[in-house]
Amino acid sequence: MIALRRLIATEWAGLGLIFVLGSVLSALLSPSFFTEFNIYVMLRSASVGMLVAFAQMIVLAVGQMSLAVGALGGLVAVLFGAMLELLGLPLLVAIALALLIGVAGGLINGALTAATGISSFIVTLATGSVFTGINLGLTQSKPFHGVPPDFVAFGDARWSFMPALLWPPLIVAPLLAVFLYRLKPGRRLLAVGGNAYAAELSGISPAAMVVLAHAISGGLAGLAAVLAVAQLGAAQPEIGNTWLLISFAGPIIGGASLNGGSVSILGAMLAVMVIALIENTLVLVKVDPYWVQFALGALVLLTVGLNRWRATHAAKT
Amino acid sequence: MGLVTDAGRSARQRREISPQFGLMVIIVALCGVFTLKQPGYISPFNLFAMGRSLAVDVVIGFSQMVVLATGGMNLSLGSIGVCSVMLSGYLMQTLGLPVSIAFLLALALGGALGWLNGFAIVKSGVNSFVVTLASANLFSGAMLVLTRALPINGLPPTVSAIGSYKVFGLVSPTLLAATMLAVLLFVFFRYSVSGKEMLAAGGNPRAATMSGVPVNRSIILSHMLSGVLAGVAGLMVVVRVGAAIPSVGGGDWLLPSFLGPVLGGVALAGGFVSVTGTLLGAMLVTVIRSGLLVLDIGNFWLQLFLGLFLLAAVLAQRYGGVFRRRPR
Repeated sequence: MIALRRLIATEWAGLGLIFVLGSVLSALLSPSFFTEFNIYVMLRSASVGMLVAFAQMIVLAVGQMSLAVGALGGLVAVLFGAMLELLGLPLLVAIALALLIGVAGGLINGALTAATGISSFIVTLATGSVFTGINLGLTQSKPFHGVPPDFVAFGDARWSFMPALLWPPLIVAPLLAVFLYRLKPGRRLLAVGGNAYAAELSGISPAAMVVLAHAISGGLAGLAAVLAVAQLGAAQPEIGNTWLLISFAGPIIGGASLNGGSVSILGAMLAVMVIALIENTLVLVKVDPYWVQFALGALVLLTVGLNRWRATHAAKT
Repeated sequence: MGLVTDAGRSARQRREISPQFGLMVIIVALCGVFTLKQPGYISPFNLFAMGRSLAVDVVIGFSQMVVLATGGMNLSLGSIGVCSVMLSGYLMQTLGLPVSIAFLLALALGGALGWLNGFAIVKSGVNSFVVTLASANLFSGAMLVLTRALPINGLPPTVSAIGSYKVFGLVSPTLLAATMLAVLLFVFFRYSVSGKEMLAAGGNPRAATMSGVPVNRSIILSHMLSGVLAGVAGLMVVVRVGAAIPSVGGGDWLLPSFLGPVLGGVALAGGFVSVTGTLLGAMLVTVIRSGLLVLDIGNFWLQLFLGLFLLAAVLAQRYGGVFRRRPR
């Protein structure tokens, strides 16, 4: 009984339960749910989402937010496409440069926020608009199609139900966990998110941690963009347009605090899986695709409200 | 006592005027540059077109400003706006209601959706950012399901007649409506009890609660007001386009909604609004947008310029503030 209660108290347990029950429900609604191919499709669509969620999560950890995750992803995607098509760079060089561009964009966000003390909301709203502006101005909204066939094949590759695209987030997740919970900079980053003032008194520089968090976020957004190019088979300028909701929904449904200092990597991954499950099921049962947006909004409101209720309820007993 | 309030007020006025003077200089300078490059910029035709789009930018800015006053924010105003747009179209075309009644009901829907936001924020205690981010998707999702993303084109001719009507041969009635709203909001925040309560709730919720201000009610009221204003902005677009289009608003209003108030010196922390500042901020947005259009630079670069201006403006305010020793 105590073990059960402790399990329920952990942030991601509820999500796991929702995912399992949801999967059973989907399987009952549609016989094609539990097929190898459908699970592959679902996992593939969650791969980019997980990295997008991580990109926001690391900034939430330090107590800030970034509205520029999607815009930066879009910019990295088209620059990646341009490097491949116009400059003809080798794939690995282009990937490395794309990640560096992401980190650079994140550094700009972090440096501006840390140096000026202006709210990260306003700074990233502005830089996000600048990133999107450069993206649209350069591409005139036209995609780059000159992506190497090997790379597109990687985007479609699978082993049974397991898409190759899922590997990057599966590798990044434990690295992030080690960074945040075992390494000094990660612990310091969380400490600044929990209480910047106390962290500063104990000798941590909040500004440095803010810059670090944004830089990592930029790198993760860049990686997400590269995967999105592989998934779509072209560097579309629209990549990142729809990342805003999922970037916040993932970490927040997963149990991250908007005030900083507390995140759950597993929670964020499960939250993205639940979202992918909902999208997948709605498509399978041939519901109007516009319901997906409605369902996502409702899901965020519901879980945030529930978390809040559970927190106050737990505090009382 | 009298001395203290006077000092407080003159300090506030100084604070309010300086960034606005800077904004005015920038606006006039930009207008000058655009006119030199392309004399058609100040032609009556372009001024009329600018006035119409200025009206929308101003009201979007106000819709965000009233929520910023209480220290919150509203990411769903674009979605609320488009819900009002589509409802007005449905009422006029399918139900054949008169334009005035359709517009009133559309504004009522805006207020109702705003109330939902405020109610959810107050009842759950969850940050307004998360609630309105989620409700934005909820509202536009519901709108898309109901309308199947199809525009409503057969509106009564009165609608586009309002849009193309020119007062004194130059000014759009929508701009006059926006100006009237500016005066009303100015009076509301300076003289009405509800307006002052909103500012108090935003400035310091604890102190406000202790002095008997109904903080929760103020927050809900600010979101209702924001919803109605988003509806007004939506209807202004209906009048301009002569149709109810489901791609109006949405995420496109997010940046301009913050640009106006933030350029005008409204802080995100709450407790302070500047109606004139928001007006000038919106004017800057419109001047840049129209200038890029006239110079044929193309809409693709617009976003870059708006972002750079927002960045420059907040940096100028931040470092201007060091010299002027802003309180708080």
